[in-house]
Amino acid sequence: MSKFDRRTFLRTTGAAAASAILPLAAPPLIRSSRAAGTVKLGCLFSSSGTMANLEGRMNFVAKMAAEEINAAGGVNGSTIEVVTSDPASDWPLYAQVGRQMLSETKVAALFGCWTSVSRKSVLPVVEQNNGLLFYPLHFEGDENSKNVVYVNSPPASSVLPAVDYLMSPDGVEAKRFFMVGSDYVWPRTINKQLKGYWKTKGIEESAWKEEYVPFSFSNFQTIVNQIRAFADAPGGKLVVVLTVVGSSIPDFMREFANQGISSSDVPVLGLDMVEADLEGLDTQKLVGHLNCWAYLQQAKGEANQKFLKSWADYVGKTKAPFRPDVAIDPMVSTYDAVHLWAMAAKKAGSFDVPEVRQAFAGLSFDCPSGYKIGMTAENNYVSRGVFIGSVNASQGFDVLWQSEGTPKPVPMSQYG
Amino acid sequence: MWRRSLLAGLLGAVVACGPAAAAFDRAAIAAQACGGAAGMTDAANAMAAGLVDASADDAKWTVALAGAAIDRGLKCGPGGAMIVRSEGAVNAVTLSPVDGGGGTSPLLSLKNRPLFETVRAAATLRSGATADERGAALAALERRAGSLPPEFFEKAAETEADAGLKARILGVGQAALLNSPDMPKRIAAIEHIAATSDRRALTRVDGLKSDPAYRTDPAFRGAVDEGVASIGRWLALSNALNVFYNGLSFASILFMASAGLAIIFGLMGVINLAQGEFIMIGAYVAYAVQETLRAVAPSLIDWYLIAAIPVVFVVTAGIGVAVEATIVRRLYTRPLMTLLATWAVSLLLVNLMRVAVGTQNLQFVTPWYISGGRLLMGDFIVTWNRLFAIVFAAVTLALTWFVLKRTPLGLNIRAVTQNRAMAGCVGIATRRVDMMAFGLGSGLAGLAGLALCPIYNVNPQMGSNFIVDSFMVVVLGGVGTLAGTAIASLGVGQINVLIEPLYGAVAAKVIVLLMIIAFLQWRPEGLYAVKGRRK
Repeated sequence: MSKFDRRTFLRTTGAAAASAILPLAAPPLIRSSRAAGTVKLGCLFSSSGTMANLEGRMNFVAKMAAEEINAAGGVNGSTIEVVTSDPASDWPLYAQVGRQMLSETKVAALFGCWTSVSRKSVLPVVEQNNGLLFYPLHFEGDENSKNVVYVNSPPASSVLPAVDYLMSPDGVEAKRFFMVGSDYVWPRTINKQLKGYWKTKGIEESAWKEEYVPFSFSNFQTIVNQIRAFADAPGGKLVVVLTVVGSSIPDFMREFANQGISSSDVPVLGLDMVEADLEGLDTQKLVGHLNCWAYLQQAKGEANQKFLKSWADYVGKTKAPFRPDVAIDPMVSTYDAVHLWAMAAKKAGSFDVPEVRQAFAGLSFDCPSGYKIGMTAENNYVSRGVFIGSVNASQGFDVLWQSEGTPKPVPMSQYG
Repeated sequence: MWRRSLLAGLLGAVVACGPAAAAFDRAAIAAQACGGAAGMTDAANAMAAGLVDASADDAKWTVALAGAAIDRGLKCGPGGAMIVRSEGAVNAVTLSPVDGGGGTSPLLSLKNRPLFETVRAAATLRSGATADERGAALAALERRAGSLPPEFFEKAAETEADAGLKARILGVGQAALLNSPDMPKRIAAIEHIAATSDRRALTRVDGLKSDPAYRTDPAFRGAVDEGVASIGRWLALSNALNVFYNGLSFASILFMASAGLAIIFGLMGVINLAQGEFIMIGAYVAYAVQETLRAVAPSLIDWYLIAAIPVVFVVTAGIGVAVEATIVRRLYTRPLMTLLATWAVSLLLVNLMRVAVGTQNLQFVTPWYISGGRLLMGDFIVTWNRLFAIVFAAVTLALTWFVLKRTPLGLNIRAVTQNRAMAGCVGIATRRVDMMAFGLGSGLAGLAGLALCPIYNVNPQMGSNFIVDSFMVVVLGGVGTLAGTAIASLGVGQINVLIEPLYGAVAAKVIVLLMIIAFLQWRPEGLYAVKGRRK
């Protein structure tokens, strides 16, 4: 009889399985090391759960930007080390991991969050610890913390220009609106502001409808039926303002196309829609639908070519599980954020948050979008350009319209 | 709204140009098409106005130019407008080959896109080679008939050779005469519009109630009232059908996701939290089959969904058997431990997939048989991908039922389920039966992944979306019965779809959960309880 009986087999396979699973499963896993002459930056982006496909790539972008800065000699004599984590698309976990990063890992700044609900969860943590969070998404505004740098645009300089364009004779002279959103703070606040805005434009309340769905909802049949019915009712051109997030976006677009509605019938303005959401969809039938961001991959200019090339090279080098030929706005915003932080730290000659914050005023950076983005002493908002993109047949967005310059960001909405 | 403004623009163009509109000035139109957004609008209007009297040759040219503008094959260079095709560039005016280098291709604005689509369809109607092609163009024009000059359809019908199509063109032309000064024509238009009976028709006919003629002309009033009533009746029916179809589609998804669990949890009592990951693996295997077909037999790639059925079943069943033999088997007496162990398996599978393939959504080919949908009646639309899932679920239900009730394996599974000790006593190899049952359950989950890949995004996390719903359905249906699972899916699906338009999707989910809790208070064993001794 061999020594290898069932008990030992169980014990060894059990131990092997546990050791295989644990490093993958333990949620707030922070891989860090303490070395002299380095300054740590922390990333709060999920690599698991519903946001993984979108947020996961930002870890790599932050590292790529840090490598660029390190190659140019680092900051204040230190090299940057990027510490990543996995808050697993679980909103309270963002706060927990953020707290660990600030108080234990001692990161100089945090970069992270996609959804507003995760930012709201981290907000008290950065305020208590007097940390800095660079937030790379366009969002609902109405927030102005001295501990958060809003790298992307509030509605007044992203959503409202896009809606204005749709309502203008150059757009489609939209008269009615169907709002579909995931049920959380960003869609609800955006829609509230939009309704307030439309009221100031003299649009009746009967001209819009509002529907909310749970996170990762996918059964859009009934809602698309409702949109079809509303589109055929009298009162003028209908536009869908889509604020669902994550996997709900492709699911919605697929159902929309399958029910035979084209962008010439009812255009969809997808406020959170990026190239990655079109992966796996037949975009031939979606051509002409819209999004609005502060960066689109087809932005003209040398800075963009350089950024796209660095990203492709970086993906090739690190074997990151993301497409080398796709760049989305939050990636660029994260890239801008790391550079802005490094510029501020250099200008301040220190990594301490109060000094770095002092140095924000007057910074400007050549963003891959082609605009010169800048910050003022007034608040922690970054002024960005505005693009309206239009879906093309090859799963990307063409630039349909872009703003003249970078509108001054207005943190607080005046529309409700 | 653009329709009305376009109509005004067209009329303006026709009036301004007068008889000269007949002359189709290709060079001017091509130049306009390169003149920015406003120029493109002018070009589309000029083409639409010119098409009434255009020669077949001019119509063909219009198809080429409008098509190029839509597909971004139009290029505006220093040498004028060009059309870039896969076989080379041609001059946009003469369609003779040119050296195509440089220039930018203008992007159609939101306003211009429908104009060019209408022009392309109208020109195809005049010049399409086959009756099918012209018929498809007419179908595209039907919704936009009002944006073309009224005489267009009469002219198109004159030159149409196919008798059936000719009648259809005249019909569409009639519908475009809703605002004609000639009263019999108006009434004919109302009758024609009312025949389609969708909500758009209702809006158009109902809008006529504010027309002065509605008060003065009894025949007109009668036609409008009759039209509104008839459309209303059909709309109510088509809405009911829509709700039923949506419910059925949701039910088929719920059933596919929970059929495997009905066997694993329902019959065997194993709380398998990795069930969602078997669904995910099924979808990934379908993807592997698609990629293999792409490499080996590219002409058959549209059939990967069918070709993958046996492969998906065998692979996921194999993984299920392996999980059962290595992990679950040891834990049959400790159900809570199976919960933990299978949860670990689920994490392991998700992370393995993420490391091996990546987190992005997989790119599936959309075969023609599951792409798009068809308006059957009024507003009732049948989308092929959902129909595929419904049929797939029905066939799965039938086959699984057959296996459980009519085969020796099914008899053994039921025997072990009802009384494990007794089944063992009469000589059934209970261990082997457990393994086969677990394999069957996993295979069914794999098939669910296959059926769902035309509807859902396929990524490593997709499984977690199904796990709660599928446990809910199995428990509601009554642990241990397939029929209960099927009926519970139908019930949950239909109720969800009925509530959703009234209170929204979030509330629908909550209300359905509350109803299930209330129901289980009253009938803890679920819809169908297995009669006989358990455990």
